[in-house]
Amino acid sequence: MSEAEKESVLIVGGGIAGITAALNVADYGYKAYLLDDTPSIGGLMARLDKTFPTNDCSICIEAPKMYEVKSHENIEIVANADVRKVEAVDGHFKVRVLKRAIFIDEEKCNACGKCVEKCPVTIPDELDARIGGTRKLISVPFPQAVPNMNYVNILCRTGKMRDKGACVGGCVVDCSQCRECGVAMCVKACRDEGKGAVMLWQKDQWLDLKVKSIIVATGVKTAPLEKGTWGLDVYPNVIDYMNFERTMNSGGPTLGEIVRPSDGHHAHKIAWIQCAGRGEKGLNYCSKVCCMVAAKQTIITKEHDPNVECAVFYNNQTCYGKGFDEFYKKASSLGVRYIVGKPFDVTEDPETHNLTIRYEDESTGEIKEEEFEMLVLSTGLVPNERNERLAKVLKIELDHNGFFKEAEPLSKPLETAVPGIYLAGGATGPIDISESVAQATAAGMKAVSKR
Amino acid sequence: MGMSDETEVKKEAAGTGEEEARVGVFVCDCGSNIQGAVRCADVRDFAADLPGVVSAEEGKWICSVDFLNRMKASVQENNLNRVVVACCTPRTHEKLFRKTVAEAGMNPYQLEFVSTREQVSWVHRTNQDVATDKAKDLVKMGVAKARLLEPGEEIRLPVGQKCLIIGGGAAGLTAAAAVASQGYQVYLVEREKELGGLLNKIGTVAPEGDVAAELKATLVDAVKKYDNVTIFTGAKIENIEGYIGNYKVKVSVDGQETEFGADTIIVATGMAEIDCMGQFLYGEDPNVVTQLQLEGMLKDGAVQGKKKNVVFIQCVNSRNEQRGCCTVGCSVSVKNARAIKQADPDANVYVVYRDMITVKEEYVHLKEVMKEGVNFVRYDVEKPPVVQKADGSLAVKVYDVLLGQEVELPADLVVLTTGFCGPEGVSDLRGLLKVSANADNFYQEQHIKLGPLDFAAAGIYLAGSARNPKPMKDVRDEGYGAAMRASIPMTRGFVEAEGIVAKIDHTNCIECGICSKKCPYGAIKLGGEKGKTPQVIEALCKGCGTCAADCPKECIQIVHFTDEQLMAAVDAALEENPEKKVIAFVCHWCAHGAVDIAGVGRMEYPTPVRIVRVMCSARVAQRFVQHALDKGAAGVLVAGCEFPTCHYITGNYECKDRLEKLRKKLDKKGYDTSKVWEVWLSAAMGPKWVATQKEMVKALGLE
Ligand SMILES: Cc1cc2nc3c(=O)[nH]c(=O)nc-3n(C[C@H](O)[C@H](O)[C@H](O)COP(=O)(O)OP(=O)(O)OC[C@H]3O[C@@H](n4cnc5c(N)ncnc54)[C@H](O)[C@@H]3O)c2cc1C
Ligand SMILES: Cc1cc2nc3c(=O)[nH]c(=O)nc-3n(C[C@H](O)[C@H](O)[C@H](O)COP(=O)(O)OP(=O)(O)OC[C@H]3O[C@@H](n4cnc5c(N)ncnc54)[C@H](O)[C@@H]3O)c2cc1C
Ligand code: SF4
Ligand code: SF4
Repeated sequence: MSEAEKESVLIVGGGIAGITAALNVADYGYKAYLLDDTPSIGGLMARLDKTFPTNDCSICIEAPKMYEVKSHENIEIVANADVRKVEAVDGHFKVRVLKRAIFIDEEKCNACGKCVEKCPVTIPDELDARIGGTRKLISVPFPQAVPNMNYVNILCRTGKMRDKGACVGGCVVDCSQCRECGVAMCVKACRDEGKGAVMLWQKDQWLDLKVKSIIVATGVKTAPLEKGTWGLDVYPNVIDYMNFERTMNSGGPTLGEIVRPSDGHHAHKIAWIQCAGRGEKGLNYCSKVCCMVAAKQTIITKEHDPNVECAVFYNNQTCYGKGFDEFYKKASSLGVRYIVGKPFDVTEDPETHNLTIRYEDESTGEIKEEEFEMLVLSTGLVPNERNERLAKVLKIELDHNGFFKEAEPLSKPLETAVPGIYLAGGATGPIDISESVAQATAAGMKAVSKR
Repeated sequence: MGMSDETEVKKEAAGTGEEEARVGVFVCDCGSNIQGAVRCADVRDFAADLPGVVSAEEGKWICSVDFLNRMKASVQENNLNRVVVACCTPRTHEKLFRKTVAEAGMNPYQLEFVSTREQVSWVHRTNQDVATDKAKDLVKMGVAKARLLEPGEEIRLPVGQKCLIIGGGAAGLTAAAAVASQGYQVYLVEREKELGGLLNKIGTVAPEGDVAAELKATLVDAVKKYDNVTIFTGAKIENIEGYIGNYKVKVSVDGQETEFGADTIIVATGMAEIDCMGQFLYGEDPNVVTQLQLEGMLKDGAVQGKKKNVVFIQCVNSRNEQRGCCTVGCSVSVKNARAIKQADPDANVYVVYRDMITVKEEYVHLKEVMKEGVNFVRYDVEKPPVVQKADGSLAVKVYDVLLGQEVELPADLVVLTTGFCGPEGVSDLRGLLKVSANADNFYQEQHIKLGPLDFAAAGIYLAGSARNPKPMKDVRDEGYGAAMRASIPMTRGFVEAEGIVAKIDHTNCIECGICSKKCPYGAIKLGGEKGKTPQVIEALCKGCGTCAADCPKECIQIVHFTDEQLMAAVDAALEENPEKKVIAFVCHWCAHGAVDIAGVGRMEYPTPVRIVRVMCSARVAQRFVQHALDKGAAGVLVAGCEFPTCHYITGNYECKDRLEKLRKKLDKKGYDTSKVWEVWLSAAMGPKWVATQKEMVKALGLE
């Protein structure tokens, strides 16, 4: 196929599902646009520590795929962008994309970090705040980010950071170019380096694409809990399972040390509450991965230090995949206590910040209580909050939980009600990595096939 | 058949290695990133005087468009045939520089990458002299290796458009239609007389309750509408040999044999119930049946309204020492319990379970079934249920965990939800295809997370319950997915290997076959007159170097990572003050990733280490380690991917094994084995790399 007549596919969402779909359609010979509304591809997997059921390191297996995407001649990454308008014309889609400014000249930045050193404002990290993670207003999304460059947090550009030390004066750029907040120390630092890559005056850009098919791969997110549920966001040593994943990760804010947010000391006794996001007001479905995530997290905790006591409060063990039950058994054999029962109350000792869990032991019916140094809440997976808007733009339906709806899961798997728009990965519901990869490959097949 | 490389198309890249090496060195300042800790001008001047170097230049940013043009001009002006870049990390920038020199007419494989930022300036920031010396050393190593680099070539193996699909169940039918829709020839081989697999045996498909027979009809029609599909039913695969683009297949139907060629293969042979003979009175009492038998009985209307008391026993032959969860059993029981209860609301239906595994919406169905009056009794694995027969009637006795007491459930029918295994015949197919499977005869995928539909060997793909039990919806997804995997090489028309491949010099070969056995990708075939001569099918070789390191006669070399090249780098590093240096053989993937992360994180560590990059730790032959010790190195470190991850499947295991043996060998020869270190790193483990450096320096007394 010559360049001019090469058909294209738009993939919305750059997690492992999006990456896999892009690599497959690109290897097939189509052009793939891989779009993500954050500044880097990678999705959740880029931030996990290990992956069940083998404990392969997550970024170790994903990063090579991310580089492959970056260097693939048939793939164009469209980062920090939103799909704004989609029109079906002659068996194709005309797509308007808003590429939001990252205030960096992508040609010039190579993430050397001089600007980051100079930026005066530190903000809580969007993912790691609960465990002490911070970042500068200008920073790389994460060390292995693709594209690998800094971006300027939009907070900087809306002037909301003045009282936090932004706008220190002495700017090298003309304030009038700089909307409200003229910090510009980053601009200066970069110019001093001879690069001039920071462009606080960069504008948003519109892109127009014409594609044959669209694959929606917008993934999942961890379910948020109302403040105070099980003491979350009230007691410092109560965190959710994503926070714990980041705590275990050498690339996270604690450099992989399993320590408590309250005092930075190693935790010696940790409890997990499974299905923490389910119940009356919560989720009405099983999120499929949390039991395995807890098994993984306890195994790794034990690998760090076999003396740490781990207890998991659960109701049903969901080990539905290849090698999963074995994995759960491994956790048990390492001495992880599995307690069938649902806790109903968590209180904190204000001195030690230890937590007392009260629960009903289902095997005996007794009410019991036990003290722990840290509590991890397996809150479950929910649809991305951005799905609703995307569904409107694509004119496709969401199911009653907010995941994208497959029109006929058995007879037309991964298809939506609009011919030419397909689904893969967490966009369809709670899912693990290997299923996401299988689905993404399948969606790729559909995207390049005749309709 | 064509065991030689004759079928391979070689795209000869420009430039050859025959002429004398003319090396150009490009030293990057990376703004102040390298320049801040290393005196880059000194490094450039030092490089200019190294043997073989005809030009050395310094640039503020050598990856900038301006400088890349400068680099191209320099290659042409100075007639360079080797280039060494001293800058950031090959993991992100090697492709860019390779492309640049190729545009200037050089062979891209004659570029060598030296990492003076991640390995020097970012991690040794306190002493400019020491950092500069180390940067010089690294450049010297790079130049020494570069002088010996041979030209590489991309290797292509043609692939046609014929696909063999084994198994005509839901997975195979799905894949067949998807492959055929592209116009490619499909051979669908089914052992039974009927297509459809399990779809012939089950009634409805949970969770939506689709009728299995209708689904089957849809899937079969979708395949039969294509002329380019040849279907063999009641067929047996007699033989398969060859490799991607070049398979020869022999199939027999009623004793009549057909032979054809195929380019790719999809394995979709499904699963079978594990035999329950002798368990829970199965085989003794006809009213003890398996789930699959129940499906048949329900289709015939033999249960509805006829069996008042039905007890399901979950996790039979599952979740035990041998195997895990059967994945589909819980939702199948919910489906069938409901069918019985709905047909006859007075029926007493019990599900005796350990954990009800119902994911996503299945959970909603479970709640509904409970409301409809199906009873659930939880048992403990230590106290499994017992089926008893007294006066001709059956009863299930079980300790109910939630009630805390034993209950006895009368049963007109006992249904065993038994686990699954690969169907008969998997062992034969495994042998023919040279792929592996687990103890239950479920096939082993290439990578459990990222390569679920591939086998390690290119050209063979996997779909459906042949991999592990799964619901119909996932089977369908995988059918399409496997079709995509098989279609990619058929659409491109070739598979391709990077120039980094194994080359065998047969002069000393004793035809022991170790290389062929060790290769994780089946890239070495034994051919020749006696069928023992090893031949590398280069397009399938990934260049891990396992074969090269383990060949007892040292016949095998890996392009770009030959013994000579790697040892030249080691020798260069150890030319001066070897007693103060540590040679580290570091794999390109996770271990190098960890080194880079230490750099990105500006983690300061001791300077003695000199890194020699290899693609996989499996490339590190025993002789390499010994050579470095002979040259007086203070220590030798081998760094590979953290277990179980390896980009070449099991290379790190091979390496670890080899190191064990090496230590014993060296010990006997009187070497100090405390100098030989190993570390296994994930790509996030910058801190561990740093800690290892500190420990080594301390233990080896280099402080
Ligand atoms: C704590 C935790 C631990 C886990 N551990 C494991 C494990 O060990 N093993 C395992 O198999 N699975 C694990 N999982 C599940 C795994 O993370 C998911 O299966 C996987 O990430 C799904 O991949 P995805 O590509 O579908 O989605 P995601 O990884 O969520 O990626 C979606 C991408 O789409 C982008 N996006 C979203 N909306 C839009 C939009 N409107 N426009 C543009 N872009 C958009 C997002 O920015 C994101 O980059 C874990 C999950 C959690 C929460
Ligand atoms: C009792 C039961 C109830 C179920 N109920 C549901 C349900 O309600 N909902 C749901 O989603 N899923 C259900 N499933 C699962 C679903 O039926 C399977 O996942 C699906 O049918 C598997 O399809 P497949 O193509 O992978 O394998 P199969 O259907 O097993 O097909 C494999 C085919 O390969 C053939 N074959 C095997 N070896 C060879 C060989 N050497 N050469 C040639 N051909 C060969 C076989 O004859 C067979 O036709 C149920 C399964 C069982 C056992
Ligand atoms: S280098 Fe690795 S992949 Fe290539 S032939 Fe040798 S063992 Fe096989
Ligand atoms: S391992 Fe070496 S000696 Fe043995 S067959 Fe292979 S190339 Fe020949």
